[in-house]
Amino acid sequence: MKKIITYLLLIALGFCFLLPFLIMVLGSLKEIEYALLDPFFWIPEDPSIGNYLYIFRDGIFMRWIFNSFVITVIPVFSQMFFCAILGYIFAKKQFAGRETIFWIFMAVIMIPQQLLIIPKYIMFAQFEWINTYWALIVPEIWGIMGVFLVRQFLQGIPDDFEEAAYIDGANDIQIFFKIILPLSLPVVATVGTFAFISNWNDLFQPLIYMTQEKMYPVTVGLASLLGKEGNFGIEMAGSTLSFIPTFLIFLFFQRYFTEGIQMSGLK
Amino acid sequence: MKKNKNNKTRNKLPFKERFRKNAIVYLFLIPILIHFAIFQVFPFLFSFVLTFMDWRIIGNHEWVGLKHWIYFFQDKLAWKALWNTFMFSVYYIVPTMAIGLILALIINSGVRFAGFFKGIFFLPVVTSFVIVAGLWGWLFGGTESGLINWLIGLFGVEPQLFLADSSQALIVLAGLSIFKVAGSTMIYYFAGLQSIPKDLYEAAKIDGASKMKIFWKITFPLLKPIHFYVAIVTTIGSFQIFDSAYLLTGGGPNYSTTTIVFYLYQQGFTNLNLSYAAVLSYALFFIILIVSLIQRKYIGKDTAIY
Repeated sequence: MKKIITYLLLIALGFCFLLPFLIMVLGSLKEIEYALLDPFFWIPEDPSIGNYLYIFRDGIFMRWIFNSFVITVIPVFSQMFFCAILGYIFAKKQFAGRETIFWIFMAVIMIPQQLLIIPKYIMFAQFEWINTYWALIVPEIWGIMGVFLVRQFLQGIPDDFEEAAYIDGANDIQIFFKIILPLSLPVVATVGTFAFISNWNDLFQPLIYMTQEKMYPVTVGLASLLGKEGNFGIEMAGSTLSFIPTFLIFLFFQRYFTEGIQMSGLK
Repeated sequence: MKKNKNNKTRNKLPFKERFRKNAIVYLFLIPILIHFAIFQVFPFLFSFVLTFMDWRIIGNHEWVGLKHWIYFFQDKLAWKALWNTFMFSVYYIVPTMAIGLILALIINSGVRFAGFFKGIFFLPVVTSFVIVAGLWGWLFGGTESGLINWLIGLFGVEPQLFLADSSQALIVLAGLSIFKVAGSTMIYYFAGLQSIPKDLYEAAKIDGASKMKIFWKITFPLLKPIHFYVAIVTTIGSFQIFDSAYLLTGGGPNYSTTTIVFYLYQQGFTNLNLSYAAVLSYALFFIILIVSLIQRKYIGKDTAIY
């Protein structure tokens, strides 16, 4: 009896969490004006791909998707690389000021991004970075949180491997690439998935740095569609398209998300 | 004394040898520190300087002393924005924690397909605010075409205005954030539940304690460090709420969803009053700083349990 109640609750909650996504996908196959919406417009009945054809009629939506890829993929790989190296440095290297620098990093995490965005806007205007990819790529090439995660991970690994390699005459760059990087691949994957999701989904920063329609990433582009098109199905088609990359990353790297969340908090 | 001397000689390895072991530090840490100074430290300090200036995008800048800070303390809208942000936290924090805990308890209770459902509950966390807001705007549509108005209609409740009603809009936005974030609090709680030793439950069962009693007397208190941590994370997140207000209500109706970050955005990037926006951002920073210091004070010790 108790089991049945648990399962009913599980299925009901699962349905509630999944329903909006279901409505998004099914709704994207309906061409319907706002005025004609009803609570069950999304139930499939004579579906069409007209909304998708409409979205692709000019290149702008594909351009937004492309922009999002540019400002996401580059930071993802550079963050994986730099966070791995810095995590290694802060976990295993002895040098003056190590603890102080790390302490400053951890203090700076507390500064909300919204505070930095105003001076950064002024700086980027000086650099002539407004409406360029630089504004969204260069500040994101590494991240403090990623360094923290890798450091946590490597602190739990004994120094023996390293010592042995030093005795064999390797230098520390060889050691990093041959020993440390392969060892820390799981946590580096976590850093990458986090970077992907936060950059792909970011709205606030591109809203400020990207003012020309052709430079919008898909979040800002989609936001500009909300309520403008007079056809709810188009909105849903755009949402579905912009959701596919996130969904694929999530499908393949879900484990790294959940592990990363646990590591960032509990250790 | 002798030992000291030994240490000294050990530190004085030949330069080549030291470089072999530490090249990576010099090669990578220094550029990263320069990057850190340019994109984190300098903006942080520059922003503080900005609060004492009238900074215009075009034209001259002038020093105005405390003008913007004084205006901040008299600005009714800024205080309303702080109040709205606080109320948003009130609507948002406890439900997010409660739902996250319930989801974690169900997932952890040994049901089948637990991994699959964990994925479903986590899905909104990785979805962008823009997508969720688009759906939310329709679900909570203020006419009879929205699904939620249909649903409450089944119970005989009149259609509500939701986002167009100044007393409901903020709650609807909080609901959006709860839906989006509950999956990640679930992960924290799930990790916490798994770290509770199983023999504690065995002992309680032998003593004949009921399930409810076991939950309130064992599980809930043992999750204390998680409660604290999740409370801090969701609190800091809730102070920074912007996306849903920008996307769904534009701060209205009647400023009821003008949160501090939305107000900052409006002041800085719609009215181009960058200096005043900097003051608002420092107000936000001080609030987050206080919450974080409370976290340091209480949680630093408590996590040692695990």
